[in-house]
Amino acid sequence: MTCMQNSCPPEYFRVVHPLEDATEQKCISEGLGQIAMTPSVRLSLKILRGYLTLMTAMLLYHVLDLAGALRHFKL
Amino acid sequence: MRVEEPQLDLTATPASTGVVVHRAWQKHALTFLMVFGPGLIVMEADNDAGAVSTYMQAGGQYGLHLLWLLLVLLPICYFVQEMVARLGIATGKGHAAMIYERFGKWWGHFSLIDLLAVNFLTLITEFAAISLALSALGVSPYVSVPVSALGLTLMVVTGSYLRWERTVIALCLIDLTWFGLAYVVHPNWAAVAHNTMVPTLPPGGMSSGLVFLVIAIVGTTIAPWQLFFQQSCVAEKRLRFSDLKWARLDTLIGATFTVCVAGAMMLVGNYGYQHGIAFQDPAQFAGAILPTAGHFARNGILLLMVNAAVLGTTAISLASAWAYGEVRGWEHSLHKKLWEAPGFYATYIACVGAAAAIVLIPHLPLQLVIISVQVFAGLILPSAIIFLQLLLNDHALLGDRWVNRPWNNWINWTIIVVLFALSLLLAAQVMLPKLFA
Repeated sequence: MTCMQNSCPPEYFRVVHPLEDATEQKCISEGLGQIAMTPSVRLSLKILRGYLTLMTAMLLYHVLDLAGALRHFKL
Repeated sequence: MRVEEPQLDLTATPASTGVVVHRAWQKHALTFLMVFGPGLIVMEADNDAGAVSTYMQAGGQYGLHLLWLLLVLLPICYFVQEMVARLGIATGKGHAAMIYERFGKWWGHFSLIDLLAVNFLTLITEFAAISLALSALGVSPYVSVPVSALGLTLMVVTGSYLRWERTVIALCLIDLTWFGLAYVVHPNWAAVAHNTMVPTLPPGGMSSGLVFLVIAIVGTTIAPWQLFFQQSCVAEKRLRFSDLKWARLDTLIGATFTVCVAGAMMLVGNYGYQHGIAFQDPAQFAGAILPTAGHFARNGILLLMVNAAVLGTTAISLASAWAYGEVRGWEHSLHKKLWEAPGFYATYIACVGAAAAIVLIPHLPLQLVIISVQVFAGLILPSAIIFLQLLLNDHALLGDRWVNRPWNNWINWTIIVVLFALSLLLAAQVMLPKLFA
């Protein structure tokens, strides 16, 4: 059941599926460039880099250990 | 600063579209039903084959003692995924695209490659579960795996997002059967209620095995692909600013449903704990309980394991295809026909096809695959969640309306710190096992 927008009495509601509705103007990211390096962003990325370095070091150790390359360094 | 106020171009909405209702509650109910989907799917698809195994092991090894953990994880799941839904609605773009645009190519490449790697390895485990469960039902892997891969491909190539969504919601609802299974194994319901509300330790007390099962449950419940999937799914469904409250409700219902289903899996696993049945995987457990629990329980577990793997596979493959398509600038939509978005569909089909083919290789080192999943997930989850939190505080991108509130930030930073610690601990346990011996 459908009706023209102006012919619907005020107590009628037209519910439109998001896929059939008009396209909204979203928050635009084009032309903004990269995120501003505020102290909190800088600190967060530093912590992330440290975390990833630690994980990579552990992975490297594990691979070397599996390959038997660390046998001579063990007590 | 360049923030444009959201506007709706009413003139572009055809007057003939939509449904007319007479009551405000009907309007709300119908709008919710139209928005409903991504939240339920992202949560329930996370109850994939690996999750079935983890939750049943938790029940099998520790009985009802870890049920409380699921209650703790419910708000964590909700808060993380709510941010994803909000970002998707505000920007209309996926998570991978936003990381590239706001954090540059290095972080973008890192996130994308890591996501694709962990997703692909997880897909191998999903197909391994399909193979295992259907083998127990007498179907050869050389039949079950290719047929599953074909079915999973046909699900997405119809050129209709809504058709895919309805199919997947139906698969999610099949998981209601877990409650039937939990009922037939007759748990002590008073103990269930007590252990859900009151954290208790199992008889052996705290042990390294218990700690790592707790970490595994957390890692199973909050997976990295979920962040990418829901944001892309929300963008794909073109949810509007006014839909945010319904998207939140969808996410909350999804989180609650998923946690309840996970609880039911633990109750089923608890049957093994009560009857002294040790098991390595759900298929083995299903076979072991046949004499005492009957065919419904046995076949139910095996078929639900397949359902969980199918749900996980379609969602994870789509998360990869969406992310890769966004970054490459390809058409990346289920609304498109196969020939209109060839790169997007090729990525999906390649993920599904290659994972299925690998599972058919004899003597596949599945344990190595599982360990690699844990390592890659330990890399991607903390980084994806950090980017999410930073994007949700990006005033230049989102303006004041969509950014996190201070209370939001307190909760989210707490969650992030906990996830960092748990990811690090899990990775350390996998890579430096001697430290924990």
